Amino acid sequence: MTDATAEPAAAPAPRPTRTGRRVPSELSFILDEATVGAHASTEPDWLTADRRAAFARYQALPVETNQLYTTYVDLRTADLTAVRPWTPSGSAPDSGGVDVPVETSGWALFNEHALSAHDLSAEARRAGVILDTLDGLNARDEALAQRLLGDERSLPLDDKLAQMTRAGWNQGVVVHVPAGVRLKDPILLRWQVGLGGQALLTRTILDLGEGASASVVEELEPLPDAPEEAIAELELSAGLVRGATRAARGDQALFTGTLEVHLAAGAELAVASIQNLASGTVAFQHRHAEIGEGATLRWALAQLGGRLVRSRVDNRLAGNRSSVEQVEIVFGAEDQLFDLTSFTRHIGRDTTGNLLSKGALMDASRSYMKGLIIIEPTAVGTDSFLGEFGMNLSKKARAVAIPSLEIDQPDCRRAAHSSSVGPIDETQLFYLESRGIPPDEARKFIVLGFLEPVVARVPLASAQDRLRELLEAKWDAGPLAGAGSSGAAA
Amino acid sequence: MTATRDLVADQREQFAFHDDIAYLRETKRGLTRATVEEISGFKNEPDWMLQYRLRAYDHFMKRPLPTWTDGLDRINFDNIVYYRKPSEREEKSWDDVPDQIKATFERLGIPEAERKFLAGVGAQYDSEVVYHSVKEELSKLGVVFMGTDQALVEYPEIFRRHFGTVVPAEDNKFSALNSAVWSGGSFVYVPKGVEVPLPLQAYFRINGENTGQFERTLIVVDEGAKVHYIEGCTAPIYATESLHVAVVEVVALPGSKVRYTTIQNWSNDVYNLVTKRAHAYENSTVEWIDANTGSRKTVKYPSIYLRGENATADIISVAVAGKGQHQDTGAKAVHLAPNTKSRIVSKSVSKDGGRATYRGHLKVSPGATNVVASVRCDALMLDDISRSDTYPYIDIQEDDTTMTHEATVGKISAEQVFYLMSRGLTENEAQNLIVQGFLEVFTKELPMEYAIEFNRLVKLEMEGSLG
Repeated sequence: MTDATAEPAAAPAPRPTRTGRRVPSELSFILDEATVGAHASTEPDWLTADRRAAFARYQALPVETNQLYTTYVDLRTADLTAVRPWTPSGSAPDSGGVDVPVETSGWALFNEHALSAHDLSAEARRAGVILDTLDGLNARDEALAQRLLGDERSLPLDDKLAQMTRAGWNQGVVVHVPAGVRLKDPILLRWQVGLGGQALLTRTILDLGEGASASVVEELEPLPDAPEEAIAELELSAGLVRGATRAARGDQALFTGTLEVHLAAGAELAVASIQNLASGTVAFQHRHAEIGEGATLRWALAQLGGRLVRSRVDNRLAGNRSSVEQVEIVFGAEDQLFDLTSFTRHIGRDTTGNLLSKGALMDASRSYMKGLIIIEPTAVGTDSFLGEFGMNLSKKARAVAIPSLEIDQPDCRRAAHSSSVGPIDETQLFYLESRGIPPDEARKFIVLGFLEPVVARVPLASAQDRLRELLEAKWDAGPLAGAGSSGAAA
Repeated sequence: MTATRDLVADQREQFAFHDDIAYLRETKRGLTRATVEEISGFKNEPDWMLQYRLRAYDHFMKRPLPTWTDGLDRINFDNIVYYRKPSEREEKSWDDVPDQIKATFERLGIPEAERKFLAGVGAQYDSEVVYHSVKEELSKLGVVFMGTDQALVEYPEIFRRHFGTVVPAEDNKFSALNSAVWSGGSFVYVPKGVEVPLPLQAYFRINGENTGQFERTLIVVDEGAKVHYIEGCTAPIYATESLHVAVVEVVALPGSKVRYTTIQNWSNDVYNLVTKRAHAYENSTVEWIDANTGSRKTVKYPSIYLRGENATADIISVAVAGKGQHQDTGAKAVHLAPNTKSRIVSKSVSKDGGRATYRGHLKVSPGATNVVASVRCDALMLDDISRSDTYPYIDIQEDDTTMTHEATVGKISAEQVFYLMSRGLTENEAQNLIVQGFLEVFTKELPMEYAIEFNRLVKLEMEGSLG
């Protein structure tokens, strides 16, 4: 794609001296060998070896290996040079005074790298469900820990950032649902992160046995306005002297998180994630699912917060008749950048993939929606659809859609993708106004309606309400709320 | 239906031949600075062109091979002859063309085509234009249609004003190669307000094993003028690699209309790496109608930069990938001005292990308000061992753009084949007819003679698969 960059409209002719190719930005965060090695004293040898193997790949890989996307790597707004990883700590602060929804099967709350509380319903406990930190899992059932943590394929081997997390993770959580167990209520995992100058690297593992069924809600939230004592406590638990992070508190923070999903035959899992991190937080997310025979996975992913978010979702439809439904929304403002990759591989027979990305972009926010569907020669009878839709709500907003297909097996029920980018639909606006709704309200309805598909798929009512509130609050704080009848969106 | 059956007869032989030609001049195999100087010296070029070539050569040597597509590393640049000249000068009349070359063209049916309806013929035999005629009436209108080398001598001002402005030498590795060693190609200038009533046609031919073809085409259509340019390619079949690296530049000045049609059927050993780009100014319309049926690997994305308000771009790209072939084709539309429109339609067929890739880029730059753009790609796969890829890039930086994109991939429906067979067609004929129907969006844009030729080429490709 040597034409990938265009000269500005005003230029009389392309300047022949320019070679046209942007140099991909480098990652300013450095994970060093000592940090990775620091875990060795408390962890089993196989885990240390796993970290070291990942570290080697992290060092060798470029930020983007897929040639389709190299032009769109942009890490310029992530200034992570001063950011340091949390050091491991065994101490867990007490769980007093946490506010969790009642209608859950279990929950775990993390404050930065520390587990602040977790609980499991009596029913889930009886059924043998495990909800624990990865350190806890290691102590409890090392064989299971090794199967889940040591599975090399549970994170993409060609992804530098995924391997970085795998090498340096300093907290993690596992949800294990034994075969045949069907949990009615969702499990809630809440992370409160974003202390300036600190990096939190996490792994989250969801493991469902044959015929098991569960739903999980992940909430990524900014730190509450923490009192000095709380910060002091965090500093203490991180092995820092009191006040050490004060200077860095205005700085950027790094959060990396995985969701590694293992679905055995016939398992059903719904995962909702609401990302509303603080504006100084840089987030790298990797979600990877191995989907067994007849198993079903439903993703509902909402991206609201963060300064720069790079997210990648890998779905491996390995089992016959397995299926995945993925809905992802982005609601961007200011100079946020969302770089989202969705990578679905059809391997088994008669598999189904239904993938939808939608972005509504205000101010100078940007969203790169990159999707790749691969239909392997074995994947007879595939039904695959990828849709990427952008709504640019300001002149400076930018939506990029790259929906790609690689097809080696033509015997498909369906193999298609579709994308569109446009402003608010004037006819919808006109219709609502003709019903007596003021233009500002009408715009808000249309944008929130555009993002609703993810809200509707969040399996926890209180989280659904919370997401609606967040979206509405973001709209109200944005440049278009109350912009008047002059029509700022036009 | 009878017509369909008649066309099923294998006519591949007609397109595959090789005449032994005594070349008057040729460079040694391989590319050095001296080769570039030698080519420029043969042509007695002005110094600015030599300097341009040398600058391009330096860039070519520096620039790495692109990595986003594969197989290009198999090209042995040292084993290519970069310049060959089969006859001494441009011929003005058909009678003056050497017999041996004439025989080649006659097998391709050029004189007949000319008699029928063509306004001019520019035939490229290896690296030099040997035959060129423009009907008198066009000359009277002031239309210039000649070899690019000749234009450099006869129309130095227009030439220098536009040459290399649409595709700079440094645009990509292969535009740099072409800029360094270009030879032949067509130059078209249509003066203000002139509508060329008949299509201008150039037949490009590769002959001679391992001969690189590096033609350079420059089309300048002045304000309010209108022209349709057609290039058709057939090439002899050889076992060793051949290389075709062309650059086509189109300048569509305000209010003009340009259509550029290509039917390509390189032999299956040719690497066909072409940069085709047009600049469309205010109220102009540019149309690329592009078909790729031959070659070992084609890398070609006809592009239109919409630089003036109300400009319109229309690209229809068709690819058929058979055994051992990779058609890496597509289209690009870059919107740089308000109220511009673009439409891209791509159709590909892959079979016998062939691979068809659609790669496209749709870009709406800041300031290009009120853009309407659509991209549609359909792919047909005829068997389990073939491959079809779609990589559309859509990059929108304005909030009032209306853009839609759709892509589908499928196979020939068994019901359609069954229906046609129940009407007395063989399975091959039925599949053939369905493929032709699938590609009709392209064929219906062609002049009738070309539509027939194209359907014949598709048939040849289909025959190969089932013979």
